[in-house]
Amino acid sequence: MADYKAPLRDIRFVLNEVFEADALWQSLPGLDGAIDAETADAMLEEAGKITSQTIAPLNRSGDEEGAQWNAGEVTTPSGFKAAFKTYAEGGWVGLGGNPEYGGLGMPKTLGVQVEEMVYGANNSFALYPALTAGCCLALDAHGSEELKQAYLPNMYAGIWSGTMCLTEPHCGTDLGIIRTKAVPEADGSYLVTGTKIFITGGEHDLTENIIHLVLAKLPDAPAGPKGISLFLVPKFLVNEDGSMGERNPVNCGSIEHKMGIKGSATCVMNFDSARGYLVGEVNKGLNAMFTMMNYERLSIGIQGIGCSEASYQSAVDYARERIQSRAPTGAVQPEKAADPIIVHPDVRRMLLTMKAMTEGSRAFSTYVGMQLDISKYADEPESKKKGEDLVALLTPVAKAFFTDVGLENCVHGQQVFGGHGYIREWGQEQLVRDVRIAQIYEGTNGIQALDLMGRKTVANGGAFFKVFAEEVRNFVTENSADAMAEFVQPLAKAIANLEELTAGVIERSKSNPNEVGAASVEYLHVFGYTAYAYMWAKMAKVALSKAEADEIGFYSAKLGTAKFFFQRLLPRIHSLSESVNAGSESLYELDAVQF
Amino acid sequence: MPEYKAPLRDMHFVMDEVLDFAASYEAYGLEDASPDLVNAILEEGGKFAGEVLAPLNRTGDEEGCHIDDGVVTTPKGFKEAYQQYVDNGWGSMTGSTEYGGQGLPFSLGLVISEMVASANYAFSMYPGLSHGCSAAISAHGTQEQKDQYLSKLTPGTWTGTMCLTEPHCGTDLGLIKTRAVPESDGSYKITGTKIFISCGEHDMAENIVHLVLAKLPDAPAGTKGISLFIVPKFLLDANGEKGERNTLKCGSIEHKMGIKASATCVMNFDDATGYLIGEANKGLNCMFTMMNHARLGTGMQGLCHGEASYQSALVYAKDRLQMRSLTGAKEPEKAADPIIVHPDVRRMLLTMKAFNEGNRALTYYTAQLLDQAHYSKDEGERANADALLAFLTPICKAFMTETGMEVTSLGMQVFGGHGYIREWGQEQQMRDCRIAPIYEGTNGIQALDLLGRKVLGSQGKLLSAFTKQVHKFCQANEGNSQFAGELAKLNQLNTQWGEITQSIAGRAMQNREEVGACSMDFLMFSGYVIHAFMWLKMAIVAQQQLAAGTSEEDFYKAKVATQSFYFKRLLPRAQAHVEALNSGADSLMDMTAEQF
Ligand SMILES: Cc1cc2nc3c(=O)[nH]c(=O)nc-3n(C[C@H](O)[C@H](O)[C@H](O)COP(=O)(O)OP(=O)(O)OC[C@H]3O[C@@H](n4cnc5c(N)ncnc54)[C@H](O)[C@@H]3O)c2cc1C
Ligand SMILES: Cc1cc2nc3c(=O)[nH]c(=O)nc-3n(C[C@H](O)[C@H](O)[C@H](O)COP(=O)(O)OP(=O)(O)OC[C@H]3O[C@@H](n4cnc5c(N)ncnc54)[C@H](O)[C@@H]3O)c2cc1C
Repeated sequence: MADYKAPLRDIRFVLNEVFEADALWQSLPGLDGAIDAETADAMLEEAGKITSQTIAPLNRSGDEEGAQWNAGEVTTPSGFKAAFKTYAEGGWVGLGGNPEYGGLGMPKTLGVQVEEMVYGANNSFALYPALTAGCCLALDAHGSEELKQAYLPNMYAGIWSGTMCLTEPHCGTDLGIIRTKAVPEADGSYLVTGTKIFITGGEHDLTENIIHLVLAKLPDAPAGPKGISLFLVPKFLVNEDGSMGERNPVNCGSIEHKMGIKGSATCVMNFDSARGYLVGEVNKGLNAMFTMMNYERLSIGIQGIGCSEASYQSAVDYARERIQSRAPTGAVQPEKAADPIIVHPDVRRMLLTMKAMTEGSRAFSTYVGMQLDISKYADEPESKKKGEDLVALLTPVAKAFFTDVGLENCVHGQQVFGGHGYIREWGQEQLVRDVRIAQIYEGTNGIQALDLMGRKTVANGGAFFKVFAEEVRNFVTENSADAMAEFVQPLAKAIANLEELTAGVIERSKSNPNEVGAASVEYLHVFGYTAYAYMWAKMAKVALSKAEADEIGFYSAKLGTAKFFFQRLLPRIHSLSESVNAGSESLYELDAVQF
Repeated sequence: MPEYKAPLRDMHFVMDEVLDFAASYEAYGLEDASPDLVNAILEEGGKFAGEVLAPLNRTGDEEGCHIDDGVVTTPKGFKEAYQQYVDNGWGSMTGSTEYGGQGLPFSLGLVISEMVASANYAFSMYPGLSHGCSAAISAHGTQEQKDQYLSKLTPGTWTGTMCLTEPHCGTDLGLIKTRAVPESDGSYKITGTKIFISCGEHDMAENIVHLVLAKLPDAPAGTKGISLFIVPKFLLDANGEKGERNTLKCGSIEHKMGIKASATCVMNFDDATGYLIGEANKGLNCMFTMMNHARLGTGMQGLCHGEASYQSALVYAKDRLQMRSLTGAKEPEKAADPIIVHPDVRRMLLTMKAFNEGNRALTYYTAQLLDQAHYSKDEGERANADALLAFLTPICKAFMTETGMEVTSLGMQVFGGHGYIREWGQEQQMRDCRIAPIYEGTNGIQALDLLGRKVLGSQGKLLSAFTKQVHKFCQANEGNSQFAGELAKLNQLNTQWGEITQSIAGRAMQNREEVGACSMDFLMFSGYVIHAFMWLKMAIVAQQQLAAGTSEEDFYKAKVATQSFYFKRLLPRAQAHVEALNSGADSLMDMTAEQF
């Protein structure tokens, strides 16, 4: 098993060379004082160290050992506790947190890089701080001043951790039908009762307190999604002076046995008149959740990138070392019994697919991270609005496409190992098992696709999409030089194709609402490949401009990978587009009984 | 808890209505397998699979195999189930009557294997490996060896293995290091380490017969210096019964992603006594003659997990209430609609259904060719069948397992979060299925075999033997107006198949790398075209039944509708593969190994 090494050179390429993040940061009020290129670089270096040296070594053992449940107490795998402490002390939990309450206030553009490294090192571990950060976002955006002061500092510091309690046994997608109840008390607090399932980090031994954000219904709440409120329910109540008080009646009933992410405790949480505090307005709980969803979804999507990168690192190492069969054009290493398998075209096909899609994903996550920063910090209304529109449009693409691609990548990474890929010891099969969850939680990828196609595209007549398409077309126009032709020409066609598809679905959905759901997944994939074509054209542009300074073949590798992407992967959009255009009819010819 | 029900109606549809097994059984002198008998066997097989084997699938996964000082214990219930399997004669169905088999058609054996393997894949590997082992002995063993071993392997009293892989080689068997030294009595002493040996050691049968690839001291280097040996765990005594323990031992078993109830063993041979089978240095050839059958079996693994996953997903999708239909509430009295109303859930279910049934038709079609190759009285027919088998086998192995992965992953997705939890069984299907693209020759190697050895190696003859069948089919159905569009599409793809082959052949003359650069996309393209062929065959039968009037309208309409889904939503993928392979080798080969 190769040791995970944070891909710092590639991260810097995207961050500094392709997107010139520092220039963006310095242009945004509120960020300009908080960060500069040098600080960012030092942080990346540190993140690289802690992920590679402290967190990655616990990945395999965490999988073998798993989280353990015993009479309501959950023990994380050996080493997690110490590693979490180190991580928290480094300030990483509060990296993007509000500085007023002890967060570091770092931009998302930087945050996504750190997230990738943590997921790449150890998915199960990554989820504990990830959920905590998500919880803090919601609290920061919607909590009362009192709640924020009482909870945020300890959470940013990683002394306490957080969870999100949405799912119940009978509902995950359809949160309108939750049953957990909250009954108001005279002192303004609430008593929360109900059962939540699949709660990541619901119980564990990493922190002294666990802060649950719980969706529940007030006794008189309207039915459906408009009757849901959000509550903060701590495991231990917090005294006025900030010290830990009584144990709240919230208990972990059991943990799930899962395909992967075994070091992450997935808990059944029973709330039994547990004391909670309203966050945000009554009956606006789902809204409160969704305002921070964009950050969370992007983050979960990044799990797909982290796993892909880890799988790729091992696969490349293996492919250079494993000798098996001769190259088709004659022995490359005649002194050995056979050639390293990286000489074989089909092995290269797998590796290049991984490389092109992983680096495309990384560029795209950085791009979406930039839009999040712009939408949060820009003071100029026009660019703020553009940022917001792009965030809304691209977040579901990022979540679903990173993770769909992540599975494909990890399966390839396993295949490169032949039979050894199936054996636990090598770690490749774990990545396939671990990455598989990311297509499911935080809204299944099917739901992301519906969000993209329905809410984000059809509902506004394609307005958000136009913003994106215009930016891509401008890029094409501005980069029409010959050297860029092999990239921008197919990109121009791809964006035109996507425009056509978009218009087609908008039109068809007027007469049949099922058209939205029938087109959505393939549409999202066409979108993803098209967006990556834009990313790869941007990367190729930088690589071309630096060809002369290319001492170690770094930039020519970028160009080679870009070519591979345009020739071998982008064509997938044609087949997918045909499926989109086939419409919903063939999905509804069968009655339920005929399946 | 998932349950498995053998899809008897679908099986009969393909066997009886689409491919007319009964007619070919008659033609090949296999009329003992009368429709009544076949019916009864399917019925009983379905019961055995559903009631005895399926309940051991999840527990087998949880428990796995255990090893203690070279002795491997299979999960609870496996031993008893295997005994029942043997007692009921399931293992001996297709074996030669000379050795206690029932001489039934291979195709029928495969249908039963489908049930057994869908119910519990890990279990099915024990008899599956034995079949491979028997086939090799049957094809290449001496009369004495056949008498000694087939009489035990055929009924399943003993089981068999195939010992090819070593730590440093799996694909490139020319590199093996296991040695065989001749003894004065004509036997050999075998020494070496084999890894990943499925069923290499276990507690279900009293003896295990290993087929081992090894090199003689003076063997030429590479693949032309490999011989095949029979190395039994227990040597045979004078009566042919289990005698002295041979010096071979299981060193450890692997911890794997899935198929945990199947013991994957490191086997150490330490001057173990073995017997040459077939000619010296022709060991790989011996192995490959029975590869078609084994590879088809492995390909079917994609179908088996796919079917099991689909059955659970379908039940769940009708049951699970979540959100309202986009076109208005379908079950307003309930809190939400069953998820099968949602287009995206249907997309997943239909993709599963279309691939599974396409794979089943392809499996049975190929199985019928196995019968023909073996039992036809006409030499020309046998040769034709062999040629088609050579072509179809790598496609079956790789395409059915690639689609099996997609299907089992979708089957998880339909379950949402519950798909990720062990208890529901969906994630096990995906983990178990994942081995199939790897072993029995990785799918990448299948693709090279198809394009390099089979298609280009025969100057396109093996391909045109098949495209001719497709062409004839399209011609025969020319007047069919209901499927005119689909027939035209199939015809066009069939022509394109030849064209892309020509184009690759041209490029490959300049650059050998073109073959490997195109092979996987070529194989996938081939799979999609063949599924189109299978789906039209099925749809046209259904169309005829519907026209003739039937009490099973739902059943046949579903076939037509699934065909339509396949052509509209899945077949378009074929073009992406064409575009990828047309782009040639450069974008794959330009970068140096260090640049990756
Ligand atoms: C390991 C793990 C960790 C998790 N962590 C958390 C956590 O920390 N907190 C938390 O609250 N939850 C968590 N979850 C739950 C997760 O978010 C849900 O499983 C997910 O949202 C899907 O909900 P569900 O399982 O109820 O599936 P369902 O909603 O029942 O969906 C089943 C299938 O139907 C499809 N579907 C449903 N409705 C529609 C529709 N309208 N249109 C089209 N398709 C539809 C879905 O896409 C899916 O394929 C976790 C789950 C797992 C497995
Ligand atoms: C659970 C399990 C059960 C098994 N059961 C058995 C058994 O019963 N008996 C037995 O003998 N073996 C068995 N195997 C071994 C299995 O058949 C091999 O793992 C498989 O053949 C691949 O060989 P390898 O692992 O050495 O991979 P390698 O040969 O090292 O291949 C590594 C990668 O390189 C690719 N590659 C290699 N050469 C080329 C080339 N020339 N061109 C293009 N690509 C190439 C492969 O496709 C693969 O992706 C089993 C394996 C497992 C995991």
